[in-house]
Amino acid sequence: MLKIYKNFWLVNWAEQWQYRANLLMYLFYWLVSPIIYLAVWTSIANSKGDVKGYTANDFITYYLLLLVVDQITSNIVIHILADKIMDGAISSEIIKPVHPVLTSTLVYNVAFKALNFIGFLPIWVALNFLFKPNYAAITWQNILLAVPFLIAGFAISFLISAVITSVAFWTTRVYSIHEFYFALVVLFSGQFVPLTLMPEMIQSIARYLPFQLMIYFPIELLLGRLAPGEILHGVGLAVFWFTFAVVAFKIVWKRGLKQYSAVGA
Amino acid sequence: MTIENIIEVKDLSKTYKVSERDSGFKAAVASFFKRKFKDVKAVDHVHFSIRPGEMVGFLGPNGAGKTTTLKMLSGLLNPTFGHAKVMGYTPWELRGEYLSAITLIMGQRNRLSWDIPAADSFLLNQAIYRIGDIEYKQTMRELDELLELGDVVKKPVRNLSLGERMKCELAAGLIHRPSVLFLDEPTIGLDITAQARIREFLREYNRRYNATIILTSHYMADVTALCERVILIHHGKLMYDGALAELSRKIAPFKVIGVGLENAADYDLTGYGERTVGENGDAMVYLRVPAEQATSVTSRLLAELPIHDITIADPPIESVIEQAFQG
Amino acid sequence: MRRHLNLIRVFLKINLQMAMAYRTDTFVNILVNMMWLGWELLSLSIIFGNTQALAGWEFGDLIVLLGVFRIVNMLMFIMIWPATEKFNTSVRDGSFDYVLLQPVNSLFVVSFSRLTIWRLWDLVLALVLILSGLSISGGNILWQNFMAFLALAFSGIIIIYSLWVVLIALTFWFTKFDNNVTILHALMDAGRYPVMVYPFWLQLIVTFIIPIAVATTVPVQALHGSLSVLQVLMYLGVGAASFVVAVLFWRVGVRKYSGASS
Repeated sequence: MLKIYKNFWLVNWAEQWQYRANLLMYLFYWLVSPIIYLAVWTSIANSKGDVKGYTANDFITYYLLLLVVDQITSNIVIHILADKIMDGAISSEIIKPVHPVLTSTLVYNVAFKALNFIGFLPIWVALNFLFKPNYAAITWQNILLAVPFLIAGFAISFLISAVITSVAFWTTRVYSIHEFYFALVVLFSGQFVPLTLMPEMIQSIARYLPFQLMIYFPIELLLGRLAPGEILHGVGLAVFWFTFAVVAFKIVWKRGLKQYSAVGA
Repeated sequence: MTIENIIEVKDLSKTYKVSERDSGFKAAVASFFKRKFKDVKAVDHVHFSIRPGEMVGFLGPNGAGKTTTLKMLSGLLNPTFGHAKVMGYTPWELRGEYLSAITLIMGQRNRLSWDIPAADSFLLNQAIYRIGDIEYKQTMRELDELLELGDVVKKPVRNLSLGERMKCELAAGLIHRPSVLFLDEPTIGLDITAQARIREFLREYNRRYNATIILTSHYMADVTALCERVILIHHGKLMYDGALAELSRKIAPFKVIGVGLENAADYDLTGYGERTVGENGDAMVYLRVPAEQATSVTSRLLAELPIHDITIADPPIESVIEQAFQG
Repeated sequence: MRRHLNLIRVFLKINLQMAMAYRTDTFVNILVNMMWLGWELLSLSIIFGNTQALAGWEFGDLIVLLGVFRIVNMLMFIMIWPATEKFNTSVRDGSFDYVLLQPVNSLFVVSFSRLTIWRLWDLVLALVLILSGLSISGGNILWQNFMAFLALAFSGIIIIYSLWVVLIALTFWFTKFDNNVTILHALMDAGRYPVMVYPFWLQLIVTFIIPIAVATTVPVQALHGSLSVLQVLMYLGVGAASFVVAVLFWRVGVRKYSGASS
């Protein structure tokens, strides 16, 4: 099994290396909006001293960590998979004895991340010099504790996106549907602002949704701002949503394949 | 220039500068500072003139300069040297009146948008070429009749077969009733029936409107069916300009003698002529001999071998061309 | 001129037919668009739940700015995206030759032949936003400031358009340069907030290199009357100059394409 992944990796890496210039351009998309939010909230905090306990430097630290966390937990499943399903290119992968999404798509996504990271890292270091965040609160224990949550965050976001992308077996409007999903992420993950600054109602819903595991939760964990009870809540959340996503993906993928073979694409 | 020539080409030349560098890092760095260029003569001092209503075939192997010549004549490319006048215009000045009087149709490039029906693209061309409604309807009726377009134009282009699409491409390129047509491989990729239909259409279009047609094609059948005159280009140079019928006499003055012979393998025929390939499924043996010796070789064959059948013919045009370009 | 108007009419008609052919998609797209508008308003209300002013701008001002931003963004979606896609394909597969052989200005055809027409709906939303923003701010708007606002918004759009022309014209030299508008699109979001909020280096970028702020922040500043007459004229001059430069650059590019230079 490991050998399969290794081979997938070699192929994907070589393929994407050719497009590294393109990848660099796409990095901008990731970078620009967190930096804009950073600027907006530091400007507000500077004018008032703090926003509900967040100082300007707290915001800087939050958004610079957000860039890293988002790099790790985000996924591009829909861009890899949706067109393949709709134009039938997936056929050649379906007939292989390994699961296409859990091998080919997954490895492609991870290779994409790795390559992206090479371009991202120097820019991120430069941003740290520009903004001077305060990482004093980050300890080794926090990092070790955050690693499994980061992996879980990626796993859950990957699987949920895979479920949504599988809708492409039924409809060509999968990109629009994905945009609705993306709006949920923006609303409930802490991408726009630390969740504690969101309206009460949104906070109380976000508490039980998987999206905070992708941004807010790992950041707060790294900064050591979560009480043990909160961390436990996070564990429960991760276990529940991971299980849910696995089951949902299995069901939807199976039905999708059935639909696919019925239509005979 | 004389008035009866619609196209006059003099010394037309196009040289491309191609940057060349060796592989490897060192060479890459070196070429960054000092680029080496190689001149490639795509078209080299070409002369010819064409009268209104003529159908002329451009022949030559890939990369001979046919397409480059067509592109210069239509105005897409500026020549490096020489000049050309088409209907009194210099093509590459891209004057509106000139562009409204010509068309360039390339079999490998789509003019029509994939997502919309061809009819919509036609409407767009009506606006672009400023064609009045009455004239437009008249032209569409005629094109419809000639090409048998029918309902094909109402379907999105992506859903059309290759042949249907080419018909629509032709119609789109002819809505403004150009008097000079530049056609680059107009039948490429089409099946035999579709090729024949397009040829028939072009012949009819030429007859009806006295349009001048310049055509390049890989399919000799296109040229033999349409053009009485051919221009041969090789390595950018003009090799032959004249009647198609004269071509084989000038370039490859050979005859092909077909011999019907029992147990042909037992005889050594090398003394009579070069063995050549005949038509498929044919039991005859074919020999290529210089035209002036054809009679004497025939009588020798009849006298010396137990022959039960014999034919003498001109070589197929394909092999003539091939012969010409090998030299 | 009449021919060009007539052509725009035909382009609109064809693209409208396409939108109708895919009307469910159009409807879904409008829904998605409304959803993002909802998010934009919510995010502004969250910001102003925590502060009275952003770099001196109040809630009403940011609503006006959002309206202006949406008009600029509309240009992206109506024209720039679809036209870029079509242009890049046509240069790659060579069908751009046909564009050059038509007796119409090639830049005009490239700009207007593909339009995502349903996005015009954004214009209505944008006007509603601008008007409600103005009424939230209260106070009187001087008519000369309002005229300056309109002129600067228009010239800002021209500047973005000109930048786009230069970016796609680069394809004539670098044929592989097919993410020519990514940079423009990536920085677009910076137009949502007043440029004074950003760190200095980002202000420089969105003012001078990818001048999105000139099309968004600057017109709203004029509405407030915080620009001098000289500044207004200067920005208008930059708009006109950039258009001229872009058209010339396009011509040089086309000439390069047909092998006149090199």
